[in-house]
Amino acid sequence: MERDDRWYQRAVFYEVLVQGFNDATGTGTGDLAGLTEKLDYLQWLGIDCLWLLPFFQSPLRDGGYDISDYFTVLPEYGDLADAVELVDQTHRRGIKVVADLVTNHTSDQHPWFVESRQDRTNPKADWYVWNDDDQRWPDARIIFVDHERSNWAWDSQRQQYYWHRFFSHQPDLNYENPAVQQAMNDVVRFWLDIGLDGFRLDAVPYLFERDATNGENLPETHEYLKRLRKEIDASHPGKVLLAEANQWPADVVDYFGDGDECHMCFHFPLMPRMFMAIRREQRHPITEILAQTPEIPDGCQWGIFLRNHDELTLEMVTDEERDYMYTEYAKDPRMKRNIGIGRRLASLVDNDRRVAELLHGLLFSMPGSPILYYGDEILMGDNIYLGDRDGVRTPMQWSPDRNAGFSTADFAQLYLPPLMDPVYGYQAVNVEAQHRNPSSFLHWIQRMLQVRRTRSEIFGTGSFEVLNAENPSVLAFIRQLGDDVVLCVNNLSRFAQPVELNLARFEGRVPVELAGRVQFPRIGELPFLLTLGSYGFYWFDLLEQEDEQR
Amino acid sequence: MITAEALVGMVRDFLPRQRWYAGRETPSKVDVVWLEECKGPWPAMVDVVVDADGARYQVLVGLRPTGEHPDFLRTHDDGVLGEVDTDAGRALAYDATLDYELGLALLDRVTGGREKADHVRPVGVEQSNSSLIYDDRLILKLFRRLQPGPNPEVEVTEGLGRVGFSRVAAPLATMTMAETHLAVVQPYLPGGVEGWALVLTSLRDLFGVFDTQPMPIINLNAAPPKGIDPAEAGGDFAGEAERLGTVTAGLHLALAEAFGESSADPAAWADDIASQAAQVPAADVDQTAIESVLDQLRGVADAGAAIRVHGDYHLGQVMRTDTGWFVLDFEGEPARPLEERRRPTSPLRDVAGMLRSFHYASIVALHDRQETDLAQAWEVRNRQAFLGGYLAKANEGGILPSDASSVEAVLRAFELEKAVYELSYERAYRPPWTHIPRAALARLTGPTAANEERP
Repeated sequence: MERDDRWYQRAVFYEVLVQGFNDATGTGTGDLAGLTEKLDYLQWLGIDCLWLLPFFQSPLRDGGYDISDYFTVLPEYGDLADAVELVDQTHRRGIKVVADLVTNHTSDQHPWFVESRQDRTNPKADWYVWNDDDQRWPDARIIFVDHERSNWAWDSQRQQYYWHRFFSHQPDLNYENPAVQQAMNDVVRFWLDIGLDGFRLDAVPYLFERDATNGENLPETHEYLKRLRKEIDASHPGKVLLAEANQWPADVVDYFGDGDECHMCFHFPLMPRMFMAIRREQRHPITEILAQTPEIPDGCQWGIFLRNHDELTLEMVTDEERDYMYTEYAKDPRMKRNIGIGRRLASLVDNDRRVAELLHGLLFSMPGSPILYYGDEILMGDNIYLGDRDGVRTPMQWSPDRNAGFSTADFAQLYLPPLMDPVYGYQAVNVEAQHRNPSSFLHWIQRMLQVRRTRSEIFGTGSFEVLNAENPSVLAFIRQLGDDVVLCVNNLSRFAQPVELNLARFEGRVPVELAGRVQFPRIGELPFLLTLGSYGFYWFDLLEQEDEQR
Repeated sequence: MITAEALVGMVRDFLPRQRWYAGRETPSKVDVVWLEECKGPWPAMVDVVVDADGARYQVLVGLRPTGEHPDFLRTHDDGVLGEVDTDAGRALAYDATLDYELGLALLDRVTGGREKADHVRPVGVEQSNSSLIYDDRLILKLFRRLQPGPNPEVEVTEGLGRVGFSRVAAPLATMTMAETHLAVVQPYLPGGVEGWALVLTSLRDLFGVFDTQPMPIINLNAAPPKGIDPAEAGGDFAGEAERLGTVTAGLHLALAEAFGESSADPAAWADDIASQAAQVPAADVDQTAIESVLDQLRGVADAGAAIRVHGDYHLGQVMRTDTGWFVLDFEGEPARPLEERRRPTSPLRDVAGMLRSFHYASIVALHDRQETDLAQAWEVRNRQAFLGGYLAKANEGGILPSDASSVEAVLRAFELEKAVYELSYERAYRPPWTHIPRAALARLTGPTAANEERP
């Protein structure tokens, strides 16, 4: 088969937390072998690429984003052989696998830092960013304002301050040092050799620091990423770099370079706006942000999501003038409360299946590659009382059996308790029950992914154009690739809605609904009238006459 | 190619069938004052301006050879003038805006060939214009009821463009007869939704969320059902209302810059409103209470500036697009003489129009429901948001009265004027709706809460 280097443009990603997915060893914590056991399920579901949250050696003070050894698997998750087996088995099923890679910083337990802090002259003395005072780079904002008061932390051993953009136990690597760049390239090559298909690059905007700047999105950072991309393209073509740059789309596009930097970037502001549009029952929150989203270079792609452990936070919004959400969030107590890192999709939509379907319909048809969050395919709930991000990281609910079928360990041994409440608990919500029920949400998602697969080219790379509709509750858009045209019409309201679409330029074409292949009346000269039920949506092929008759 | 004489009789029968015709009867006499061939045969197009019973109208005539029976006329009997002799043979005359081919030719004519389009479609029901939309990119307005002098839509949007106000559709091309504008081409606002439609969406959501009936069963100790704070509803409109207020203030500052400021004359405003109110039947209003509102207006020492205003400002005249709010239709109330529509007045008159529109929407959306308290909570929240956005920006410009109580006195008087106008309109055309302006008048003239809720 011909190699397809742009697979990521058409792929559906599935974000999985290794510790929460499946425990094969009975320790109470999910592991790589457990994940491997569930690959048949993921293949059935119809996803194209797994995204693994960090699984490297770590003191786990920040969910594994504090890596203390890039070449070792966290023992709770297994070992290198398990990783190799997972990659191998994933590939056998035609699924790709990418992993989270934290390049900006390490854990303070990492041997590099342990050595660097010894004194000012050791071989790794300038692998991190040290300074005699804590006043340098005052314009760099403090990201974790709730936890940290400065980007500098005092190290009593070396008698100097070290730089950290995130937690103080996560010292920033010094990318000015070519040896550091080389070391990180070695890490990348090691995992690509094992077979990973790419990386989500955590916190990329902060790699470099410069005087009189805020230390974000510096040219040096882009130059480094371009060099990394070039090396990867040369040694391991067909891999993907997915940048986590929690910034405005107009700034994020810089991480695509001229198509020679990152292949993918997350589109952060789209997610809260999809929820806001449904809450407001009108399309402007979505269309406004898409109108502000620049074209991206050939071969690049947005990563879009409904839920993800990365969220848009208001602190990220710097330009009020451009920001609709700024005033809308501030005015709406419920939005403020809920669009946070603590909630799952099901809770955000009050467990309304119609809204969940509509949101996925939007996610699968808008420009970008959709990223699903484990458990959302069965509308799992959350437990906000677990605190921080743990509320959305409870064990995957496989069955109504002990520990939700996730682990055979003692209940008390589990890394987090599974949900047990009457609405979202594993007795009520689990893969086994939904798999047996053809009308379940799980089956619905699986079917929609099948439908999307038949049009993945156009949904992944087709042009996107919002149609004028007088009814503000209706979001209608055209995806087009060459002569192929797909029309998507979404009712953002809980009430039935009509819409008249001006499709004169497609006069003579016949709309054929994608899921059921039902033919709708031919498009004529007059506006095309559609009615949509509560939260209803349609995807249509707009077929030329000759296609229609085949 | 066609003579005025041949047309007069047909136009006389044609006019009363048009929505934009002001009279109710067939005009006693029609005079053709201007006739110009816009496109030769076939189809041919002739632009005709006629005087009928003291008013002036534009009729754009399309011509096709008899016997063709074009499809587009099949559902538009009203658009047919009749058969007529031309120098190219006998032809069927009809309203040219119904003809796809002539619609494209008209764009070519008005823009002098500078703009081209592949598709044209007519806009639905309109009062005083006929509009065509090209490729969802351009809109051409054909003015039907003509008054001598510049058309306010063209005059105002051009003036606003000169001072850099971008929240209007600035003219790209115009067609004129001497000093009178006949048509204008403007950019069509993509993705735009009328403010009225958005507001009804918000209200529909509000009424769908809250059930104000107490539920007497299940757990009596449970928290009471949610209150009636529209801020808690998903469809909350306050953010939009505030931004609309800001854009409105920007509009007024730009109008002041483009057309100048003159001094306010609150006494004359009050007299004008009083004469309108005098025509309302005594049973509908308390004339003494109206006088007291107007006396407050007369007593305002600093009433701000008088400027050119929109003149017919309501939710149907504003569009929310992907880049924010835009203001449309600067023709003012078509029933008023042009001179009056162009006269400087208080910018708060527009503000009053929009606030009245919020009230209307909140009641209209109720339909058969009884939750007037919810409707009022919505109205109060959104009028405050609108005023908040408006005053914050307009106060920068020195066009408003300098103190809040004067702003309130002027605003209340103009809301009253609007409600008086609404009452006579509803009595004449929609009697079942008179309760809306009646409620407004009661509120505006009474010592009630609604007035105290103003900032």
